[in-house]
Amino acid sequence: MRPTLGCASLALVLGMTGGALAQSGEITIWSWDVAASSLQSTIEGFNAQYPDVTVTVEDLGNQQVFDRTLAGCAAGGSGLPDIISIENGEAEIFWNQFPDCFANLRDLGYTEEMASGFPDFKRTELEVGDVAYGMPWDSGPVAMFYRRDFYENAGVDPESITTWGDFIEAGQAIAEANPGVVMGQADFNGDTEWFRMLANEQGCGYFTGEGDAIAVNQPGCVAALEAVKEMADAGILVAGNWDERIQAIRAETVASQLFGGWYEGTIRSNAPEQEGLWGVYEMPSVTEDGPRAANLGGSALSITNTSDNKEAAWAYVNYTLGTNEGQVTMLRVFGLVPSLLSALDDPYVEEGQPFWGDQAIWVDILGTLDRVVPSRGTPFFGDAQAIIQATQTQYINGGFESAQAALDDAASQIALVTGLPIAE
Amino acid sequence: MRATTRTAYGFLTPYLLIFAAFWVWPIIYSFYLSFLSTRVQPWTFNPTFNWGRLIIDPAFFNAFKNTMIILVIQVPVMIALATLLAVLLNSHLLKARGIMRFAFFAPVVVGEVAYAAVFRLMFQADFGVINKLLALVGVAPISWSSNPTAAMALIITAVTWRWVGYNAIIILSGLQSIPEDVYEAATLDKVSKTRQFFFITLPLLRPIILVCVVLSVIGTMQLFAEPFLITNRGGPGGATETLGLFLYRQGFTVLNFGYASAVAYTIAAIAIVISVINFWLGRDPK
Amino acid sequence: MRSKSQTTLLRTVGLHAVLVPLALIWLFPIWMMIVFSTQPENAIFSSNLVLLPSDQFANNFALLQADTGFLRTVFVSIVVATVYTVVSVFLTSMAGWALARYNFAGKGVVLAIILGTLTLPYFVVVIPQFIMVARDFGLGNTWFALIVPPLFNSLGVLFMRQSFSMMPGELFDAARVEGVKEWQIFLRVALPMARPTIAALCIILFLASWNNYLWPLLINNRPDMMTAPVALGSLIGLTRVSWGGIMTGAVVLTLPMLFAFVVLQRHFVAGIAAGAIK
Repeated sequence: MRPTLGCASLALVLGMTGGALAQSGEITIWSWDVAASSLQSTIEGFNAQYPDVTVTVEDLGNQQVFDRTLAGCAAGGSGLPDIISIENGEAEIFWNQFPDCFANLRDLGYTEEMASGFPDFKRTELEVGDVAYGMPWDSGPVAMFYRRDFYENAGVDPESITTWGDFIEAGQAIAEANPGVVMGQADFNGDTEWFRMLANEQGCGYFTGEGDAIAVNQPGCVAALEAVKEMADAGILVAGNWDERIQAIRAETVASQLFGGWYEGTIRSNAPEQEGLWGVYEMPSVTEDGPRAANLGGSALSITNTSDNKEAAWAYVNYTLGTNEGQVTMLRVFGLVPSLLSALDDPYVEEGQPFWGDQAIWVDILGTLDRVVPSRGTPFFGDAQAIIQATQTQYINGGFESAQAALDDAASQIALVTGLPIAE
Repeated sequence: MRATTRTAYGFLTPYLLIFAAFWVWPIIYSFYLSFLSTRVQPWTFNPTFNWGRLIIDPAFFNAFKNTMIILVIQVPVMIALATLLAVLLNSHLLKARGIMRFAFFAPVVVGEVAYAAVFRLMFQADFGVINKLLALVGVAPISWSSNPTAAMALIITAVTWRWVGYNAIIILSGLQSIPEDVYEAATLDKVSKTRQFFFITLPLLRPIILVCVVLSVIGTMQLFAEPFLITNRGGPGGATETLGLFLYRQGFTVLNFGYASAVAYTIAAIAIVISVINFWLGRDPK
Repeated sequence: MRSKSQTTLLRTVGLHAVLVPLALIWLFPIWMMIVFSTQPENAIFSSNLVLLPSDQFANNFALLQADTGFLRTVFVSIVVATVYTVVSVFLTSMAGWALARYNFAGKGVVLAIILGTLTLPYFVVVIPQFIMVARDFGLGNTWFALIVPPLFNSLGVLFMRQSFSMMPGELFDAARVEGVKEWQIFLRVALPMARPTIAALCIILFLASWNNYLWPLLINNRPDMMTAPVALGSLIGLTRVSWGGIMTGAVVLTLPMLFAFVVLQRHFVAGIAAGAIK
């Protein structure tokens, strides 16, 4: 860790005596939800070093950042801001379609050495050969966030929930003991996040690790989809999109939420009055003693080629993502899990969190990171996602005999659309 | 004669220029695009790539099926309702005519986004006013956004709400062009009002209803904003994905312009075929 | 035997028994739009049934304005719809005039094309239009891109043609005899006579542009060049914006049009009914 830090501070000192202080002008960033808020939170620290750069963060929502960036790139960069937040899973769509739309960060000062401060699984999707299109931001180790009081009312000890079967039983007990409360919510309308988390836990993904074949009908994914349907059928997992889930948290009608670690800040900032009522435990597994770690989401920052202030944009990206100060600020304020390895040694990580009943949640959540099986987004993520979504809906509504049949069908559809082979 | 032609084209030129630039050229270019593989950069010429995919793509057939469901259920219901409304609104027994017409015609001026927002909020599963009203009469809450059938019903309801007045206006104008004395003669012959409707009004309205049907078919073929905004991009899981939305997704979410162009041509072809069938079925029998 | 007035009474009652409930159902969404726009967020998302307005409109609108700069997008929409309407009325009137009053080579072809495009979904051209305007011309995020490509409008031409061809030809011939130039006849004689038709057309064109969603959604991705419907649509499904705020936006977009509709109902109806003229 030390050399990286040393380098960063040296660069900082050099920068201060050299041209860096002269950075000025305005830069604009597109981002979404809590990610946008956390970028906002690092501006103060950034401006302490670069007082003449005005940073504007525009929160457009996740889907629209994606849509508008694609449209902007298709239009030769028209209307794009200086910096764009890009989800790792979707990142390769951009480099693949529009290699000229984004600046090579290597040219702006992002050295191989700095890049080596991030874990490999974050880098694969962001770098193509010698070109670095994005700098890793956060990762999303999955955790089960739960309401301590609701569990206690039903006499459920979260430690005892090790399989999804246990989770269903607990869910039924909790719903009974807490009228009007549901065990969990999944975005059955617009997403497949539960399926993806469970599949990743089981070592499966839409594509193989190399991204050159379709893997979605492999046993791990089949088990994941079966588990999701069992939970939906048992009535303990009900439909709820992003905002409906937040409403449910505020209205105290939901007992657990399964998401990437970054959801911590969403719960905390939306329901500050529920301090002390929440806790975290590891996601259950399909089988007794099965794997219990997964990753969902995690993003990067990229600089557009049309930006007329790339140096200032890079200065901001480097401060926010490349320094412990920037990364830990985002963890503190909004629960974004740093992917910068050195930031994980920050003392804040060890602290018990008052909102979470003084549980040292970051120790627990980050402890799962090295058990996560990397999963590749590939340039075809968008195509695959639409197909899996439709398949999931049909399967849950009884449109397929079995999860295997559903995912075989999905795999052949993805093969048609992408031209990739189905993995053996 | 030549001078007239020159003058005429003088008046037509600006309009025809816009037409050439923003319709003719795109239509030709689109045709060319549909033969390119635009899946990854660089684009390459591959005549069977998109068309070959289109004829076996289950996602395309899903969108086609959904569009046809709307076409077969929503359009007839709406046109029948519009005809009924037009006849009732035309009745001289009607009180508060202005307010009544306003009620049905007002949605015509409400934009897609505005009404989509309202419908999405009204039909929200947990706190939506529709489910609360249903609860008053003892109906269990319906998950409008996550149940495929309910979501489709929601889209059909929304589109009908928005467009029935529009069609009623057109039919009403047709109704008002039917001379009064036709009915007077029938009344003298003691033909009942109901029979008058079926044997005089409807046949006379046939051409105008036909126009409404064709306009609605074209509208349905490019239905986009409602499933995009109300059911969150054709959700759940594509259950309300229409051809218009499928084209948008291929064009602007996956950025596969070549495939999207092939889809666009197919949509146009289907629209034209259905319109022709309509005109043929609805042609004057004499 | 039932008297005639009894029958009429029964009919009247029956008519209203059908129409009044239907009318209430049809007004309900617009009513709820207004109700939601005046309610605080926690009232919209409470388990109580809320059917009456409250007093939070200004607060909700302030939230919306702070979040998107909504007034700017309304300004963009007003400019776009106004310029579009004026230019389009001129283009379609000129074309309609040519098709109504002159016999010229290729007239049949032009007319056939215009009629033909009526059955062509706009979706056929939207992708190449986007590629051309945004990528090839590099004109994304411009006023040009918002206003010019949608100018092609076949209904307007047919509507104007209809109006011009119903005018007495002697009038124009008399002017010609006096040596008045053709474009002056069009501007000074024909256009003023077509005023009611133009009024109806203006309303329809303005409304279409005001509510246009797909094209402005695609062609502009910069917040300061967004039209109001696009800005509003972009908020649907986001958490950070209140639904009350979104509803105030919907009200701002809708109420002026409803007001115009009440005042100008005759022209609205004429313009829409023209959709059926073939």
